[in-house]
Parts: sequence; C-alpha cells; structure tokens
Amino acid sequence: MFKPLDPLLHSELRLAVVSLLISTEEAEFPYIREQTGATAGNLSVQIDKLSAAGYIEVEKTFKGRKPCTLCRITPAGVKAFEEYVEALKSYLKVKTK
Amino acid sequence: MEENNNLTAERSLEIIRESIERSQRTMNKNSAIPLIWWGLCVVLFSLFIAYLWKNHGGPAWNMLWAVLWLVGYAGNWIIDKHRENIPTTFVGKVIGHVWSTFGVFCCGMGMILGFIGCGMLPMELIMPKVCVFGCITSIISLCFGMGTTITGLVIRNRTIQVCGLLAGLGGFFGALHFTGHAQLYVMAAVALIGLIVPGVTIFMQNQK
Repeated sequence: MFKPLDPLLHSELRLAVVSLLISTEEAEFPYIREQTGATAGNLSVQIDKLSAAGYIEVEKTFKGRKPCTLCRITPAGVKAFEEYVEALKSYLKVKTK
Repeated sequence: MEENNNLTAERSLEIIRESIERSQRTMNKNSAIPLIWWGLCVVLFSLFIAYLWKNHGGPAWNMLWAVLWLVGYAGNWIIDKHRENIPTTFVGKVIGHVWSTFGVFCCGMGMILGFIGCGMLPMELIMPKVCVFGCITSIISLCFGMGTTITGLVIRNRTIQVCGLLAGLGGFFGALHFTGHAQLYVMAAVALIGLIVPGVTIFMQNQK
C-alpha cells in the first residue's frame, strides 16, 4: 500500500530547499539560491509556500547594512520531511520486489 | 531547478541526497581554509622565532607568539569576509568551539608562563612545593592533536583523525627530546601535520 506523498514537498525545488535546511540550523537566501540553482523570484515564491505551511521560518534581518533573509526549518517541517521520506520508502519497496 | 511536481520516488531521493551532499561539501571546503591559514602562521612563526632565538638573543623572542594571535585573527577575519555564503550548522559550531577552546587554553597557558618569565608572577604560583617538569610545547602539541582529532571525528574523516593522533602524540613525546629553540621545530612539524595536511585534505576532497 502506497503512503500519500505530501504535495507541498513533492516538488523539485521545495524538496531541495527543505533537504538543504534539514542539515543546517539556518541558511541565508543567497546560499539556498546558489545551492539549488533557482532564480530569485521562483525561489522566493516557493519559500513563501513553505513558510505559509509552517514548514520553515523566514526572518528578515540585516548583515551590517545589507538586508539578509534567513530561513530555518521548523519542527513541523522536520516531521513533514520525515513522513515524506517514510512514504518514499513504500514506493521504493514495491519497485524492488 | 524548476518547479516540477511529477517526480518519481528515485528522483525525489536523488534530490534529497544531492542537496545534503552539496551542502556538506560546501561547509567542509570552507572549514579547510582557516585550518591551512592557522597552520601556515604557526609553521612560519615557529621557524622564525627558532631562528631569532638561536642567532639573535634568547627565549625572549617567544614574546612574538602574541603577534601570531593578532596576525592569525586578522587573517581569519579576512577569510570570513571573503568566503562563500555558508549556513550555520551544528557541525560547524562544534568545530568552531573546539578550536576556540584550544585558543583560550593555549593563550592562557602562554600568558601565565610569560608573566612568570617576566617576573610579574611568582614561580611558586604554579609550582608550589613539588618539583614539576613542564614542557609547554608538549602540552600545546597534545592540544593541537586533540583539536584535529575531534575535527576529524565530527566531519568523519579518517585522514584527519590519523593526522591528529600523529601530531598530538608525536608532538607530545617528540618535544620532550629537545630543548630550547629546537622545540620550535617540533611545533612547526606538529602544525604541518595537525593543521596544514588536514586542511589541504578537506579542501581537495571537497573540490567540485
């Protein structure tokens, strides 16, 4: 029996963002953009979606005089990611049988 | 990377693996430069102070170690300013704290021994009644080795763990066989094995 995949995470860019944040405490917007290779506009939209779902927190701050956007994963985001990986396993098990 | 919702399970796993690996590589690569920088500083200062000690005076040249901290921190500040954007991670914090603790202990030890050497503190303060044989190069080498080994364990790198053990134990016992300025050659070797080799190893392994 397949477990349902969280539609919010089942997107290439959003999944990459959450995967990056899962291994860090917090990351700046330019770092996430560099690592995913996404455009600033597209990334911004996807980050807003994850933030609205409560999966990540976005903090607007300053680094010296420059504005800085910090993203960090929330406990709800960690739980959703774990459930997503668990669901993925059920798909892979069927394929390997 | 586009917004693609038609992912296969394999592609999803690939994205997760790639993202985590890429992030790990960036963090490791960026931790290599400070190691190489501090290693070079210690090697050059050791050899320079050893030369001055041997040819132009005596152990008073050891006061130059204070300049090492200034030069080292100034260089580190520049490296921090110019390096890639890297995220805050638990691993990065642990490594930072390990080396900060090392710095505080070595600086504290150096300052106390320096004050005693200058007569500003009485010798009895650290060696009250019993006769203690103290070799600061041995102790600092051991601290170096421990710092490097812990770094190797945290980032799970066998080469760095071995370098740390060699630098720490080799330096601790090696320094006991030398006196005076010759101990500084041991210090240079310890910095080469304990800082520069691990730094270069991390850097090479994480080149894209």
